[in-house]
Amino acid sequence: MERAVVLKGITKRFPGIVANDGIDLEVKKGEIHAIVGENGAGKSTLMKILAGIYQPDEGEIYIFGKRERITSPGRAIELKIGMVHQHFMLVDRFTVLENIILGAEKRAGITIDEKNSRKMIEELLSLYNFSLDLDARVEEISVGQAQRVEILKVLYRGADILVLDEPTAVLAPQEVKELFVNLRRLKEEGKTIIFISHKLDEVLEIADRITVLRRGRVVGTVMPSEVTKEELARMMVGKPVFMKLEKASVPTGEVLLSVKDLVVKESTGKTVVNGVSFEIRGGEIYGIAGIEGNGQKELAEAILGLRQISSGQVTICGRNAGNLSVREIRDLGVAFIPEDRHRQGLILPMKVWENMVLGFHRKKEFLKGRSLNLKAIRKFAEKKSEEFLVMLSSIEQSIEGLSGGNQQKVILGRELSREPEVIIASQPTRGLDVGAAEFVHKELLKKREEGKAILLISADLEEVLSLSDRVGVIYNGRITAEFKPEEVTLEDIGVYMLGGEVKAGEGA
Amino acid sequence: MKKRYYIVMLRILAPVLAIVLSALISSAVILAIGKSPLQVFYTIFKFSLSRLDSIAIILYNATPLIFSGLAVSIGFRMGLFNIGVEGQYLIGAFFAALAGFAIKGLPVFVHLPLVILCGALGGMLWSFIPIYLKVKRGVHEVISTIMLNYISYSLIHYLIADVFLDRSQKLVEGLGGILTRTPKLPPSALMPKLHVFLGLFGIQLPRHVYLNWFFPLGLLMAYLIYYLLMHTPFGFEIRSVGQNPEAARTAGIKPERVYMAGFLLSGAVAGLVGLSDLLSYFGYMDLDFPRNYGFDGIAVALIGQNNPLGIVLSAILFGFLKRGAEGIQTQLNVPMDTIVILQAVMIMSIVVITKVMNDYIKRLERKESVICSSQNSSLPA
Repeated sequence: MERAVVLKGITKRFPGIVANDGIDLEVKKGEIHAIVGENGAGKSTLMKILAGIYQPDEGEIYIFGKRERITSPGRAIELKIGMVHQHFMLVDRFTVLENIILGAEKRAGITIDEKNSRKMIEELLSLYNFSLDLDARVEEISVGQAQRVEILKVLYRGADILVLDEPTAVLAPQEVKELFVNLRRLKEEGKTIIFISHKLDEVLEIADRITVLRRGRVVGTVMPSEVTKEELARMMVGKPVFMKLEKASVPTGEVLLSVKDLVVKESTGKTVVNGVSFEIRGGEIYGIAGIEGNGQKELAEAILGLRQISSGQVTICGRNAGNLSVREIRDLGVAFIPEDRHRQGLILPMKVWENMVLGFHRKKEFLKGRSLNLKAIRKFAEKKSEEFLVMLSSIEQSIEGLSGGNQQKVILGRELSREPEVIIASQPTRGLDVGAAEFVHKELLKKREEGKAILLISADLEEVLSLSDRVGVIYNGRITAEFKPEEVTLEDIGVYMLGGEVKAGEGA
Repeated sequence: MKKRYYIVMLRILAPVLAIVLSALISSAVILAIGKSPLQVFYTIFKFSLSRLDSIAIILYNATPLIFSGLAVSIGFRMGLFNIGVEGQYLIGAFFAALAGFAIKGLPVFVHLPLVILCGALGGMLWSFIPIYLKVKRGVHEVISTIMLNYISYSLIHYLIADVFLDRSQKLVEGLGGILTRTPKLPPSALMPKLHVFLGLFGIQLPRHVYLNWFFPLGLLMAYLIYYLLMHTPFGFEIRSVGQNPEAARTAGIKPERVYMAGFLLSGAVAGLVGLSDLLSYFGYMDLDFPRNYGFDGIAVALIGQNNPLGIVLSAILFGFLKRGAEGIQTQLNVPMDTIVILQAVMIMSIVVITKVMNDYIKRLERKESVICSSQNSSLPA
């Protein structure tokens, strides 16, 4: 069988680190080849080499049997390699059609030949069985559709080899299924697909072959029929990972966080949280599952006092928190792990020790008279960095120099060190590698055992289900269903997440 | 850890490089007007640095710019552009003048501090308007402060030329009207020169030098602001809000409150900008009271990279250039504007070079942590 991509001994060094270390890889024409590995295993570097963004320091690349040098992204397209990025690169205000042709417009004189382009795209749509409204604006379409636009973009440019970087990260289970249908159809038409992921279930489902990377090296290439998920995970991290977390049974205590009929409106008047109610007791993790943008962020921010509450009640440790400031709410014992740590959690240019006390810098132990007690703060930062296994060269380093996992550990160190009663964790493991995510999970479970109340908001269903004692599904600003994780299947939750109903009477 | 010193070195090197680069570019300008750059630069240095009184004049020139640069930098640190230092210092100077000539019979150790305090108060008052509008109404501070600068010009004009005009002036024979100025301030409101103090160390300054106690006061102010920024909770909040207001808010800091207090502080410092001129040179406020210190302060803060020590140094640099400009004008007949060009080019190159340098430093730091973490992670778990 013809081989679409052959990599021989690809090595890419960055100062101080070898990102790809003698990688050999063979991708056959017309197969779906998955590349899995932890964050930092070298997947992205390898893909960027294929896409022409990086040049390898050593090694050879063969595309359809011919030795090539992929010197630029433009060259990659010439070689029929198309990259579908994890973060969509679409213009919201443009239509689907405009987005697809953007940068590769066919011309008719000095104007764009829309008619021909449209014809060509419609042919692609029917060939691959894609359903898309070409005249819809991108801001109006769903995430799954936006991803199809991205795929069409590279097909329109004539790609035969499609590289998909974590394509399922943003999708709901149903949308993942649709994507897989699309991918299989592409494969039938002879396209070669390189599928990067760290979601093992999906990889096992879709891939013809799986190549596992660890620390820049190829650990092995396997067939999905020959391995189990656990074996794959072991190849990935080099040590057994507990897919099922050890969850001690903890007696639940008093209600520490109670939200009743909470309504939050945007400044435009749009209702984003629409009558949400739940209670969390000490020793309990309450998970909120849902596709992003269904009010999770606003819910968390309203509880923390960052957003005005339109109506309803938030009670924290028995106190009505409705009109309190963020400071006052935090002083009641609320810790917050924000979903966007760069925007809300950290001050990137500032030093590690400064970030370690952000918000707590007026606490007595950090003051000496009316000045900051820098010595005490540094000592505290040193201690917490050690305790939370933050890998750094010095606490004097600015926090932007740390990896995502270590940045998150700094946030955990800061937020969890003040004995909070209520912890709001919003997407706490987003973008973290397996090791760091495991660390975060363990810390949350530890707090649960200590009798704290934890609100866990996550788009990662597996995370929500394995950590939570109870799960609520949020859709369109409402909790549409609530259950214990062992009571439901992933598919059922997926239906709720997309606004459906499984059985009458079971919801809420 | 060696790298840390290297990074500090680079940080210091950046402005030096910018100065050298701008000197090169200005050389082209000087060549274009048919003069020799070498001779011009030589004259600038010789004229400025060869005599003690010349150095004292440089420090005198730098005095208002230290305050002005500090005032601007407080805004920058919070992520706000206080373009209004210009207006704030004029209003501050007027308040100080008012407290000076309107009150009589106070001993100097009461009157002078009161006058200075009124200066700060005036600047603060004028900065309250834009920051109130920003915090409560969302008016962008750049727009409002620029507008308020113009208002302050006219207001001062009106106050001096109309309300508080000194009508008791004796008419000088042969000259038309009286000077458009406020009454003179009594000696109890004036800031003494440094001459007596420096005399103790055997440094004798001639009478035409006006170097006064506001210079050491400026240095003290720079230290206080450094201390405030780096060692107090409020300073920590200023820096946090300036770098990432969203994260600061999430951490329980109210950015609006920090903006309000910080901007008022900026205005108070701005109120002191004009006092060195008012209280040791003029002794009254007239329509020719020096302008543009506020705008120069923006340049000073930029070149000093909002670092109090850097601001002191860059203020002195500006003082030096101003002195040098007088030198090349009188001795070489090169227009003073050459120096303005030099300053402008310097600002641009500092912006470019610090950007490049900071990116480079960031890369270095990241590299350092990558090396470190890869070393750590290769240890057995």
